[in-house]
Amino acid sequence: MEAALSTAQQAEWTGRDVTIAEIERELAQLRSESMDLRTSMMTHLAWAPPEWQDASRETLAGLAELHPSRTILLFPQEGRRDALDADVAIECYSLPGLERHVCSEVIELRLHGSLANSPASVVLPLVLPDLPVFLRWRGHPAFGRPAFEQLVDVVDRLVVDSREWDDVPESYAELVPYFERVAISDIVWGRTLRWRRAIAGLWPGVRAATELHVRGPLPEAMLLRGWLASRLRREISLRHEAAEHVELLAIDGNEVVAREERTSASDLLSNELDRFSRDEVYERAMDAATA
Amino acid sequence: MLVIFGASGDLTRRKLFPALYALATRHMLPERFAVLGTARSPMSTDEFRKAMEEAVREHARVEFKQEVWDELVSATHYVPMEFEDDRAEDRVAEKLDELDKEHGTEGNRLYYLAVPPSAIATLVREIGERRATEGWARLIVEKPFGQDLASARRLNEEIRRHFDENEIFRIDHYLGKETVQNMLALRFANGIFEPLWSRQYVDHVQITVAESIGIEGRAAFYEQAGATRDVLQNHLLQLLALTAMEPPIDFDADAVRNEKSKVLRATEVDAVVRGQYGRGYVEGKDVPGYREEEGVDPESTTETFVAAKLRVDTWRWADTPFYIRTGKRLARRETTIAIQFKRVPQSLFTQSDGLRPNVLAIHVQPDEGVSLGIGAKVPGQGMTVRTVNMDFLYGGAFRTGLPEAYERLILDAMRGDPTLFTRADEIEEQWRIVDSIQARWSGQTPDFSNYEAGTWGPEAADELITREGRSWRRH
Repeated sequence: MEAALSTAQQAEWTGRDVTIAEIERELAQLRSESMDLRTSMMTHLAWAPPEWQDASRETLAGLAELHPSRTILLFPQEGRRDALDADVAIECYSLPGLERHVCSEVIELRLHGSLANSPASVVLPLVLPDLPVFLRWRGHPAFGRPAFEQLVDVVDRLVVDSREWDDVPESYAELVPYFERVAISDIVWGRTLRWRRAIAGLWPGVRAATELHVRGPLPEAMLLRGWLASRLRREISLRHEAAEHVELLAIDGNEVVAREERTSASDLLSNELDRFSRDEVYERAMDAATA
Repeated sequence: MLVIFGASGDLTRRKLFPALYALATRHMLPERFAVLGTARSPMSTDEFRKAMEEAVREHARVEFKQEVWDELVSATHYVPMEFEDDRAEDRVAEKLDELDKEHGTEGNRLYYLAVPPSAIATLVREIGERRATEGWARLIVEKPFGQDLASARRLNEEIRRHFDENEIFRIDHYLGKETVQNMLALRFANGIFEPLWSRQYVDHVQITVAESIGIEGRAAFYEQAGATRDVLQNHLLQLLALTAMEPPIDFDADAVRNEKSKVLRATEVDAVVRGQYGRGYVEGKDVPGYREEEGVDPESTTETFVAAKLRVDTWRWADTPFYIRTGKRLARRETTIAIQFKRVPQSLFTQSDGLRPNVLAIHVQPDEGVSLGIGAKVPGQGMTVRTVNMDFLYGGAFRTGLPEAYERLILDAMRGDPTLFTRADEIEEQWRIVDSIQARWSGQTPDFSNYEAGTWGPEAADELITREGRSWRRH
């Protein structure tokens, strides 16, 4: 998808220690210079601690075509100074074979001091009316902390990637209670789709499965075991070997081959942005994974 | 000659002079033109000019140009005056005669009453008794116009002793906003909307005037007014009238105002809730509750939020609810009129949980424009349908800056066009509606505060709409 788009033009504004009103004014000014029509499907929030900032920007680059949106990147900052710094941009991409552009609004907010603990009040004035709000939380969720709790309550869907966590499966148990507050997607769950399809293709041969062997990341292994156990309604034992990607998957000693290609990070996120309601199959898999 | 009473006040500094300067920049002021500012503050003309230059530099929407300012300032004068002092009023009248000769304004007067409500009746009498025999005289009166139906009627009677209705310009600056006027263009210049603009196709209408700011040092005024008198009585009901009115026979002032007046006469309150903000976070800042604001009674029962379900008993709108709300310290600053259309009778698409009813939203501020939410297929395999917002951005479509409301309204008053000003009967109908709200609250002690600053108001406001299977728009 990234190859299909190239940045045709970009209008930018940067402000230090700014107010929301200034951001709104400058955004309107940039829009008046670069576009008169805007198409939007959602507001896309991304919470990215310093170590995740570059990755956040890269992932977003491939989203504009299928998900025209206003993107708000929230970068919490260390330090005591209470201030809001902003980079505002209208990014327009040319579409192959067409003269028109797709334009997206990207707002990067650096939350200094206490603002990092009250991000909802900063974000709410900037979300697009009448459209769903998705939050991509980079890194380990700050369960119970003000920033996480506030944002969970203002978004329609929370998207995490449990590969970014270092304490799976313990943290899965902390995530499960949030299913009642907000629809949740784990990108790891999306990564397992090609394997779940491959396993489902073996039905009914896997009906009596008892052991799953995964050579790959632990989160994928845990969710696949949870999924298989919840679908078959039986205990499934897991044999796990660590690897960067899922290299081998076997059920009761029989190797399973996934024919579909691996999906890019942007496409994985893009798929999650198409979902609105709760994903009950995922939730049941999580329940089983944490049982 | 523009005569500003209350010229040392905030309105003159923030709005009136910046608007005059913007008009001067666009060469929209008459060739023979002068401004006389008057107020209690003792000040020389030079001091007033200096203060106004600072105001223009700080608040004007257009770049400061010395040559434009020099021309405007040469026609700017100031006379201090106690409003209840007859001799001082005589001095003002003498000064006006003198300036007439100096600037060739021939006795034409536009009086702008930017004064507290309590001073209006006295001033009108003093001005009326000294009306020049030659030239025209017009009166711009700022809101609030009265504090209930009875006081508004008394004020109308007092003003009409000295001025005809076509000489009275009751200002509601919302009507001067481009996007509010664009509502008339949207409805009556496009064949596609008007046929849908009725109970047959519209499920309900929501009008929101939300502010993220608090009372900004206006405790004395706000304690008396509250959200109902400050915003619902004027802005909200005028937006409702523009939304629900029938097509006028032409764009003549009385034709438009007749139709608005009919809507207001047909409007009744079905349900209303009120709220007052407590502490909370707004735009990342910890803000105090209303009762902690300077100058506010710590036991105050003044409402800073009001939401109502109104009905407009006309053939066009019978059984179509109009939900309106306004408040301070809400999550964001936004003024929007949203027309929510009825759902399709049968959903054909199974993958449509991202599909919402069509909403046509007229954004008055901050994102001036119009947006339409429509269901669209997500590209790719399958038939996933979800709502996409198409936004027409007013500022982006026309390569000219949007004039401030006061520019438009001052110019209209100079030209004698009252289309965008409120007529006496409209004002009185608006107060009738507000009085009916106040009567519901009479004798009740509200349990305040009942919403956190930075949220969308009290839970009761949600219940007002959700009990009928609807919800406030997602902001």
